[in-house]
Amino acid sequence: MGRPKKKRVGISIDMTPLVDVAFLLLTFFMLTTKFRPVEEVQVVLPDSHSKFKLPESDVMTITFGKEGELLLGVDSQQLRAQLFGEQNKLKSSIRVTLDELPSLAQQARAINPKLRTVIKGDKDAMYGPAEDVMNALQKANIARFELVTNLSRE
Amino acid sequence: MGALDVGGGREHGKKKKKKVRRRLGIRIDMTPLVDVAFLLLTFFMLTTTFSLPQVMEISLPPSESRSEITEQTLLLIRVLEDGRIFWSFGTDKPRPIAPEELRGFLAERATMNPNMIALIKVDRKCKYAHMVKIVDDLHLARISRFSLAPLLEQEKKIVEQAG
Repeated sequence: MGRPKKKRVGISIDMTPLVDVAFLLLTFFMLTTKFRPVEEVQVVLPDSHSKFKLPESDVMTITFGKEGELLLGVDSQQLRAQLFGEQNKLKSSIRVTLDELPSLAQQARAINPKLRTVIKGDKDAMYGPAEDVMNALQKANIARFELVTNLSRE
Repeated sequence: MGALDVGGGREHGKKKKKKVRRRLGIRIDMTPLVDVAFLLLTFFMLTTTFSLPQVMEISLPPSESRSEITEQTLLLIRVLEDGRIFWSFGTDKPRPIAPEELRGFLAERATMNPNMIALIKVDRKCKYAHMVKIVDDLHLARISRFSLAPLLEQEKKIVEQAG
């Protein structure tokens, strides 16, 4: 007589709690995710130690890229339609020229006085365009603005 | 062995005339569901960006305003095309400083003279990141009063001679 053969036990684990948690997390992430808007130019942000976060609404973004592209964007669709026309409502930012910038910025501020001006410049862009943008803002009587940066890791 | 008999316990207490319908134990294989759920979960977890970028505030004095300042409180920071930084007080001779020493230098100066005003002059061909770094250093040194001005050609020469 040999050893009695061990009977294989069919393990069945109740997966219900696991699934519950998975779906809970899934809904959480689905609801909190905000997809990044498609950007017209890729901008690599410079680093800083600033601890202020970019506000989520009422922002006017002036973007300048590496090659000197200049874009103006506002976060509300309504305002975009008013500024750039109905056909550009869905674009997050519009290419503008330096001469148009002061008047557009002023218009935007007139429509929404709470609008905060934010400059988003590429790290490797030249300082020239940045200087021009800041001069244009001063022309539009916007003396307070913010530069978008990444948090520096040092 | 009756204890193992699930559902049998009830019948002991109360005899029912009606025929009890057997509940069918429905088993659904949930594995594919879980697979999909986890797949989506990982997707959303990886694509979510919780962190908004930081912003650095700059408030320039309005262009019309003139403020009277003595020469010794005005710190001029000039940045040349290649990223070299020069500093000077008022009309003094510009002196070079390494970019990584700037933060300590500014902090030191700010404690010596809390009323100090900085004027940053950056060459147009210089990189934007240099200017951001200097403004960041000023913020870290708690110098909140600063302004930006264009770097003029003749200034460039003066700085070049000094360097």
